[in-house]
Amino acid sequence: MTSTLETRRAQTATEVVVSVDHLRVRYGDTLAVDDVSLSINRGEIFGILGPNGAGKTTTVEAIGGLRRPDGGAISVLGLDALRNRQELRQRVGIQLQASELPDKLRVGEALELFASFYRDPADPDRLLKLLGLEAKREDRFANLSGGQRQRLSIALALIGRPELAILDELTTGLDPQSRRETWKLIEGIRDEGVTVILVTHFMEEAERLCDRLALLHHGRVIAIDTPAAMAAGAAGRQRVSFRPSGVVDVARMRELPDVRDVVRHGDRFTVEGTGDLVAAVMESLVRDGVVPLQTRIEQSTLDDAFVALTADADAVVSEHADPTREESR
Amino acid sequence: MTAVAAPSVSTRARPRGFRRLLITELKLFAREPMLLFWGLVFPVGLLVVLGVAGGDKAQKSLGGVKLIVAYTPVVMMFVVTILALSALPAALASYRDKGYLRRLSTTPIGAARLLAAQVILNFGLAAAAVILVALVSHLAFSVALPQQLGGFVLAIALTLAAMLSLGTLVAAVAPTQRIAAAIGSLLFFPLMFFAGLWVPQASMGTTLRDISHYTPLGAAVPAVQNAIAGHWPGTVHLLVLAAYAVVLCAAAGRLFRWER
Repeated sequence: MTSTLETRRAQTATEVVVSVDHLRVRYGDTLAVDDVSLSINRGEIFGILGPNGAGKTTTVEAIGGLRRPDGGAISVLGLDALRNRQELRQRVGIQLQASELPDKLRVGEALELFASFYRDPADPDRLLKLLGLEAKREDRFANLSGGQRQRLSIALALIGRPELAILDELTTGLDPQSRRETWKLIEGIRDEGVTVILVTHFMEEAERLCDRLALLHHGRVIAIDTPAAMAAGAAGRQRVSFRPSGVVDVARMRELPDVRDVVRHGDRFTVEGTGDLVAAVMESLVRDGVVPLQTRIEQSTLDDAFVALTADADAVVSEHADPTREESR
Repeated sequence: MTAVAAPSVSTRARPRGFRRLLITELKLFAREPMLLFWGLVFPVGLLVVLGVAGGDKAQKSLGGVKLIVAYTPVVMMFVVTILALSALPAALASYRDKGYLRRLSTTPIGAARLLAAQVILNFGLAAAAVILVALVSHLAFSVALPQQLGGFVLAIALTLAAMLSLGTLVAAVAPTQRIAAAIGSLLFFPLMFFAGLWVPQASMGTTLRDISHYTPLGAAVPAVQNAIAGHWPGTVHLLVLAAYAVVLCAAAGRLFRWER
């Protein structure tokens, strides 16, 4: 089973299942999505990341056929998101932010109801078990906790056995334990061959789950890459800080190829740079006969990349200041 | 949950799942005790009280019929109004407020079918309640069953079309479920007044009665009364009902919002 799965994945590794080309969506006078282009391959978990109001939800709603674009083109599973909406609804599962079910609808009823809409649904019982909701089968929606509602919502997005699952703010409001369980679940879905679009503003989630991600800001894509490359690339800085046992030749250290800057705070030095920064700094210190004390090494994270990239984008934006570019959602 | 979907072999006709949606909505309806009370227990109880208290004598002030005969159509309209102005708008507005309509619009069934299911369900329940009222009146108090059956069915169908359209319109214009409930109960009193719940139409002054014949329930009551007595319901009454149905339905269709 695993081997056929892998073969299938290898065969379809480069098949594009979602392609968005210069998408633009406005609400009245507000430009929610300005210019978004991206393409998503079959079988990957694609993250859409960005600060509040970046246009993430609007983008995935347009992909899911829930919003009519004002410009650009969207193709999902080879179908036009608006013209082939009916077929798309069969093959795309969507988990929306903040959508509730009728208060008195029971968990099991909800799953069976949604299952009845699809040509070839998953087994509701299996899905309930997978999501740890089997004990809640007879519970009414109104009596579920936030985490249970969220899991039910995921179950409903998956009940039609979609080829593409769009999950918006999947783990918002979950405790760390359930968040981790949900992540495992998403990886499981991916391993079964489903393509997943994950909207999130949790760096940790993006880093852990996503094969690739797009960083959105003010309705534009400002970076698309793997999480690791994004963390290392755009803002890919490392920082080594230490208290030297003797005199440091700051000028020579600045000359080192991987070093970008050396800053001194009292008796503490911080060296910023890229590549094999730590090795270079240590070697230089050893040559001077200086021992580094209380050394701290900081790798830049996706968080840093996020802050750096959005700050860069802001700098560009403020040059042609455009106060209308706020999002509603 | 093997998610790479094999090409479907099922050939069942669309819309898939509509029947399940109807059944689910019926179950949800049955879980609303207040609706069951006001829509079923109360009207039947009212009928029994009126039947017992009114006795067997025809009354001049009621146009020469027994109290129960005058009130049977009014009680039918009471049930119709509870369903059309309470049950239907409450369900639709809450489904919109909760984002349930939007949630369904991401599935193959679509949100419009939920609206359709609600209308069909309430139509069916109202029709069943009307039959129940007719049967109770007949069996317990020997009120005649509708003698002009075709006219009766037509009058009831038009009344339901007008009233369910009105209920949908209420859900359409109300920004929240609470406001939908408030509008529904505000409309209830004038509508039921003209139907003759407090003062039977036969006891109204001429002007008031003429006005009432141009309201939906005020037209429905004499239409139904005529059909029960074996006459064809008045053309004017039927036209008034049809006009309300068309106008209200068009307005509801135009104004209904699927999202908060």
